[in-house]
Amino acid sequence: MLLEHLAGNLIQGLVLGAIYGMATMGLSLIFGVLKVVNVGHGAFIMVGAFITLWIFNALGLNPIFSIPIAFAVGLGLGLIFYSLAIRKLLKAPELSTLLATFAIGILLEELVKLIFGSEFRGYNWVVGKINLGVTVLPVAKLYACIGSIIIALLLYLWFNRTRAGSAVRSVVEDDEGARVCGVNVGGVYALSFAIGIGLTVASGVLVTMFIPVGINPYMGGGYTLKAFVIAVLGGLSSPYGAFFGGLIFGIVENGSYTLFALIPGVEPFALTRFLSFVMLLVILLIRPTGILKAK
Amino acid sequence: MLRVRELESGYGPMQVLWKPSLEVKKGRITTLLGPNGVGKSTFLTTVFGSIKPWGGKIFYEEKDVTLVPTHKKVEMGLVLAPEGKHLFLNMRVYENLSMGAYVKKALAHKEESIELVYSLFPRLKERKNQLAGSLSGGEQQMLTIGRALMTKPELIMLDEPSQGLAPLLATEVFKTILKMKAEMGLTILLVEQNAEASLDAADYVYIMHEGVIKAEGKSEQIRNSSEIREAYLGV
Ligand SMILES: Nc1ncnc2c1ncn2[C@@H]1O[C@H](COP(=O)(O)OP(=O)(O)OP(=O)(O)O)[C@@H](O)[C@H]1O
Ligand SMILES: [Mg+2]
Repeated sequence: MLLEHLAGNLIQGLVLGAIYGMATMGLSLIFGVLKVVNVGHGAFIMVGAFITLWIFNALGLNPIFSIPIAFAVGLGLGLIFYSLAIRKLLKAPELSTLLATFAIGILLEELVKLIFGSEFRGYNWVVGKINLGVTVLPVAKLYACIGSIIIALLLYLWFNRTRAGSAVRSVVEDDEGARVCGVNVGGVYALSFAIGIGLTVASGVLVTMFIPVGINPYMGGGYTLKAFVIAVLGGLSSPYGAFFGGLIFGIVENGSYTLFALIPGVEPFALTRFLSFVMLLVILLIRPTGILKAK
Repeated sequence: MLRVRELESGYGPMQVLWKPSLEVKKGRITTLLGPNGVGKSTFLTTVFGSIKPWGGKIFYEEKDVTLVPTHKKVEMGLVLAPEGKHLFLNMRVYENLSMGAYVKKALAHKEESIELVYSLFPRLKERKNQLAGSLSGGEQQMLTIGRALMTKPELIMLDEPSQGLAPLLATEVFKTILKMKAEMGLTILLVEQNAEASLDAADYVYIMHEGVIKAEGKSEQIRNSSEIREAYLGV
């Protein structure tokens, strides 16, 4: 009985964690290459959520189709914001890029609010559930998990098996070293920022796939916080580190939710979110090098 | 092969280079000498393009390359083995060398270039699977030069390749530099503080002081001028 509970929670946690991990890879890629912390991360997830919502309601298309569309929109947004703002700020003190990404986040939120309004929205994608014996998994969540794993694998292959990927890895290691090898470092910055944003907007689709409610312009904040915790868990500058950080975070979040729910009079959702903060603080206290390691 | 005219650059508001001019002839070793902090590394990084020139002109093979970006210069055969090495410390030795063959023209000759680097530095071959971060200082210096050679350069700029090396190892490095000139037909722009050894290796010498070229001449002329030696080299 207890073992079944454990197995069930582990499966739920891993499925959730894979999605969280994927939703953090963009943040880590951008930090690893450009040393820019994208404070507007959650707003890009929100954009992905609205793309999914709009495509589902207006065109009647399955959310799976929204993944490549969201990625493409993210690439475009990434390139635009990179050339308009980030590129010029890379040599400025770190606070400038922090403020810039913060401002970009607010800009996106207000733009989306202008177009769609600020009420909570949702859609209804009926795909059912599967009973795994130890736990019941919504099929939509399973799709989101599989999608996350496929995207993580594609990123891994791109990173390690292609010429462009090797250029990105070299810049992560040492940008002057990359320059003397003939790598176009400015181009790598632009490409990595665009792909990082593309991944983040696409992750908005995956997240929305299994939580098709509560979509509103300000939904991103919680995801930004979670992504920071996961990125720090994963060592901050590696997208795969982020993926594995996501798995750990998913297991902890899911497990603690189940435990909190057992305590009478406790609202488990709020407490779980509070736990994210606690985790971030604890990691930073025990291993402040987690953040500095990337330097 | 390389002509630099009245180059100016610096960091933020601080100007470091005050219009030094310099010429590198094909197939020769040209040395830029000078004490600490006079702007030798700034000169090389500005010529390479990691730092944008504020003024002056750079010609490579008669083409104006003053504002040509670094990756295009590497494709044109102009490369830098930078001060501070800038290796990829979490990659293996052979991965660092492979990265050196990043540009298309180098990629086509990757295998033969690696063999060439291994024959020049057998130590790197023995340690090819080791992480670059775990190499000794001398081995890292060899890897920095090796990685630059992997780009199939015609002109290689070496920033203090003997820095921090024991005398015996430094001699070894200078021998290799002479080999690179004689056997590989490379043109070399060498920055050094080690006056004795680099005067021996050089064909032509420039002496920099506070961002300005104070003296120049054939290696023997500099060596025989006690005036220059006392004023700028302290030997
Ligand atoms: N990244 C930097 N930012 C600001 N100032 C710098 C930077 N790099 C060098 N400087 C300054 O520029 C001046 C010239 O430095 P440079 O490294 O070119 O000298 P160098 O001749 O190569 O010295 P060394 O022989 O010690 O390597 C020095 O005053 C140095 O402090
Ligand atoms: Mg120097």
